[in-house]
Amino acid sequence: MTARTSASSRLHDLRSRFSLRIFLSDLLSKSWMEPAIPFAIMVALITYFSLTVPNYATVYNLVELPRQFAEFGFVAIAMAIVIISGGIDLSVGAIVGIVNLVALLLISVFEMPVAVVFGASVLCGAVLGGFNGFLIGYLKARPFLTTMVTLIIYRAIVEIINKAYAVEIATAWVDNAAWEFLGDGLILGVPVNVLILVIVALVGHFFLRNSRPGWHIMSIGSSRKAARHVGIKVERLLFLTYVMSGVLCGLAGVLYAARQSSPGTDTGTGWEVTALTAVVLGGISLAGGKGTIGRAMIGAVIVFVLVNGLVRLGAPGPVTSVGLGLLLLVAVGLDVKWAKNRAKVIQKIYVNPTLVEFGPMPEIAPDSGTPLAENNALSSVDAIGLDRIQGPEDVILDRQGRLYGSTREGWIVRFSGPDFSQRDVFARIGGRPLGMAFDKDENLIVCVGGMGLYGVRPDGEVYKLTDQTNRTWYKLNDDSRLRLADDLDIAPDGKIYFSEATIRYEMHSWHVDGVEGRGNGRLVQHDPATGETRTVVKSMVFPNGVCLAHDGQSVLVASTWLCKIFQYWIAGPKQGQMEVWADDFPGYLDNINRASDGGYWVALVGIRYPAFDLAMRSPAFRYRMVKEIPVDEWIFPGVNNGCVIKLDANGKPEASYWDPGGENHPTITSMREHEGYLYLGGLENNRIGRLKLDGVDETWTGWESYWGDKRRDV
Amino acid sequence: MTRKNVITRLIKSLPAAAALVVAGGFAADAQQLAGGKSSGELRALVDSKLAGKTVAWMPTTLGFPLTDMWTHVMQQEADQMGMTLDVRDPGWNPDTMVQIVNSLIADKPDVMIVHNFNVQLLAKQLKKAEEAGIHVVQVNMVSNYKTGAYVGADWGQVGRMVGEDVVQACGANSGSSGKVAVVQGDLTSAASIEQLAGFKEALAADPSITIVSEQDAAWDASKANTITATVLQQHPDLCATFGFWGTMQNGAAQAVKAAGKTDQVKVYASGEGNRQDCTNVDDGLFYKFLNYSAPRQGEAIMSAVSFMLQSGLAPTDIRMAHYSRPFWVTRDNVDASMCFDVPG
Repeated sequence: MTARTSASSRLHDLRSRFSLRIFLSDLLSKSWMEPAIPFAIMVALITYFSLTVPNYATVYNLVELPRQFAEFGFVAIAMAIVIISGGIDLSVGAIVGIVNLVALLLISVFEMPVAVVFGASVLCGAVLGGFNGFLIGYLKARPFLTTMVTLIIYRAIVEIINKAYAVEIATAWVDNAAWEFLGDGLILGVPVNVLILVIVALVGHFFLRNSRPGWHIMSIGSSRKAARHVGIKVERLLFLTYVMSGVLCGLAGVLYAARQSSPGTDTGTGWEVTALTAVVLGGISLAGGKGTIGRAMIGAVIVFVLVNGLVRLGAPGPVTSVGLGLLLLVAVGLDVKWAKNRAKVIQKIYVNPTLVEFGPMPEIAPDSGTPLAENNALSSVDAIGLDRIQGPEDVILDRQGRLYGSTREGWIVRFSGPDFSQRDVFARIGGRPLGMAFDKDENLIVCVGGMGLYGVRPDGEVYKLTDQTNRTWYKLNDDSRLRLADDLDIAPDGKIYFSEATIRYEMHSWHVDGVEGRGNGRLVQHDPATGETRTVVKSMVFPNGVCLAHDGQSVLVASTWLCKIFQYWIAGPKQGQMEVWADDFPGYLDNINRASDGGYWVALVGIRYPAFDLAMRSPAFRYRMVKEIPVDEWIFPGVNNGCVIKLDANGKPEASYWDPGGENHPTITSMREHEGYLYLGGLENNRIGRLKLDGVDETWTGWESYWGDKRRDV
Repeated sequence: MTRKNVITRLIKSLPAAAALVVAGGFAADAQQLAGGKSSGELRALVDSKLAGKTVAWMPTTLGFPLTDMWTHVMQQEADQMGMTLDVRDPGWNPDTMVQIVNSLIADKPDVMIVHNFNVQLLAKQLKKAEEAGIHVVQVNMVSNYKTGAYVGADWGQVGRMVGEDVVQACGANSGSSGKVAVVQGDLTSAASIEQLAGFKEALAADPSITIVSEQDAAWDASKANTITATVLQQHPDLCATFGFWGTMQNGAAQAVKAAGKTDQVKVYASGEGNRQDCTNVDDGLFYKFLNYSAPRQGEAIMSAVSFMLQSGLAPTDIRMAHYSRPFWVTRDNVDASMCFDVPG
């Protein structure tokens, strides 16, 4: 029986840990995911062609391919900068064409020095880009139409220069070593144009990401209006982006001229479309405001390698062109779809139900005569702080008998005085304070949802114990941050054991974790002496209440959605092992705390019902539900009933206290025994309940049982 | 005419020259090639030089009768010689042309045949290819860098021949305006540069002839059409138009026809002689067509390849040319056999 349980629990464990859908949804929510896909495509393409194209991975090719790529790289960067600024520059190819001719003219017909040719070419690019920039930045013309018109004008200029000088250029044989070097030279084995490209790309990358004007350009791209409102000089910066685009095209033009020495009107033709394809493929959104130079380069390499690969595989020209066109279509389509639907996709595949097999539902009928039989015991409890406290998830009493509740506002509210009528806000922590425990020095240690593990000194000073644990190496999502620290208890040696209910959901959607039923939680140990935090049990299904057993040898951990209590041994021969301690509860367990007689109290936050039990047995059904209907129509675990169960020292139910219908105390999440009374907390309640217990040790308090003379572990 | 004879002789002597080089280079083998078995031995010798060799071929684009016909003939010849023909189509994209030639340098075929887009574009690459030990044959449009072999029209000659005829048709005694329009191909292509030079050289003989337009239509019929339509409006008394490629000049002929001046404007074109060229002559759209015959060029290209490989010489040690013999196609002599259809 034990063997079977452990085998099936191990299987459950495995299922909980590994899920392709979870991997995907984690992946999609990563910010590095967007460039990762193009990067993978780039690597895949290069690998593919290295394997299939003969003589691809040769030294000659390693030098020549980048050399042929470089000029296009500049144009892709130019296009990227302009698109990130929220515009578009269709005239890039035409600028390259003009500058190519101008450079050839200067070098071959006018025989100017290379430095002059280089400078004049880049300046020429800047002027042509500046014309675009002036129209778009200052005259507020539409980038698409403007650059389309300048594309036509610039192309016409190419024709004019070509007509006048092409034959002269074509028939001249330039004998200039520096010019040859610019086009054909190597510096440390790297082609000159590639080296310039790398430098420009690096500078451009840091310019956009790390400089003030770069940030301003990005913000103009995101929202021009907002950028203007915060005082960014939109006109001037837009002008500058087109100047930059022109300069980059000028660089491309002069380097192309040096490399190919080819006049002719075809230079740069169609580069605007290819550059656009590259930029969009790299994941730079056409909507603007998003993207980096790095991504543009990735896209450019993809396009270049693809075209080059097709050429080398012998694909006819038109086929290559059609392929490129289709690629652009797909990239633009994905860009639109991705931007629109990414969040939706993540939402759709985020919830990943898994199989949960419950044991038989125990008998709870009022007339069944069992310890779990429904009764009315909680209907007459006293209310403390009625309407003066909001949602005390946990309640605890200190050595002096003052009552603390952890509230929705992020506070610890304290009631004191003979009838608890004095209300103070003991501490304001923030987050969502949940489980609490006093340490030996009477500091109140609190699990704070959304923040981590915090302490409050007796004078009310708040301090942080930890907000992270060790990261799981194989998880994409950084799980080192504590998302939903839930309940804690403290071992005699001072080590704190606390549960983190789930690492996939936030406080406000904790119940969705119930639909999933997956092992998203963990038990974490924090040692205040060393400040060290580490996860001791991974992949637990919503571990909630944590209670140190009376003997101090083990920690009891209540799993809400599995309706089980686990025992994790922290000392003795079974140290480090975990086993089921109590099973088959009629409802979903929350906090578990010590009772004066050596037993335990456990709170039921809701009662199981057959339909949900059945749903938990069918992950496929729940997956369909999650995908197909809105959240408010999902079937959820019922959290409306109030119930507290008294367990004996071995976890066997002895008695139960009900509030049918949850009139006074629905969703009981916590209870503490203190001097003959049981105090009740509830996540959604507007009060703390107090119930007189009969026949118990009326001198017993929680603090004494941990740190005083009521200890049973010595 | 003497020049033409020289060229004819050169063409005819080509196989002999090849044999001579082979014989010279392999004198020891040559001595053994006698007697009853010598024919078989020669065949074996030739096969050892040719069979299994790879010939890469890059036209500026496929999809035109000119390049398709070349490719067809070259394929047949390659099959005959037991060689592999590797056709790369850059689709008229200069960037792709550079990429293809670069990749061929890496692939090291035995021979590379290129159809140059312009005189500069591939010059550096072709030099590199020869240095890498690849024989390079340039077809019809030569680069500024002259490789082992050029096979194609002597554009100067083509230009001159048309020019001489234009002088007859539009010259001082013709009674026409003497106005001539030229429709160039890509300005920086060898075919344009040299054809124009030859044409002008011939026209210089008659000062009454003026060239009123020499725009380029970039080998595009629709551009030729637009240009010619405009020229006809500016010069309604135009005497002749000369297009550097029949396929392109077809557009100019349509413009002339549309203007209703087919009888007045003499449409000249040079070209490879595809079916449409002859039809145009037959229909009177072309006045005269100077044909350099693509099928013959295809054979000559492969003869040059065969020679280069059999010679055993290094690529940089060969500098040869085979100039195509152009012949007139006129309304009087036009005949189906003068033009070709691309098979298949």
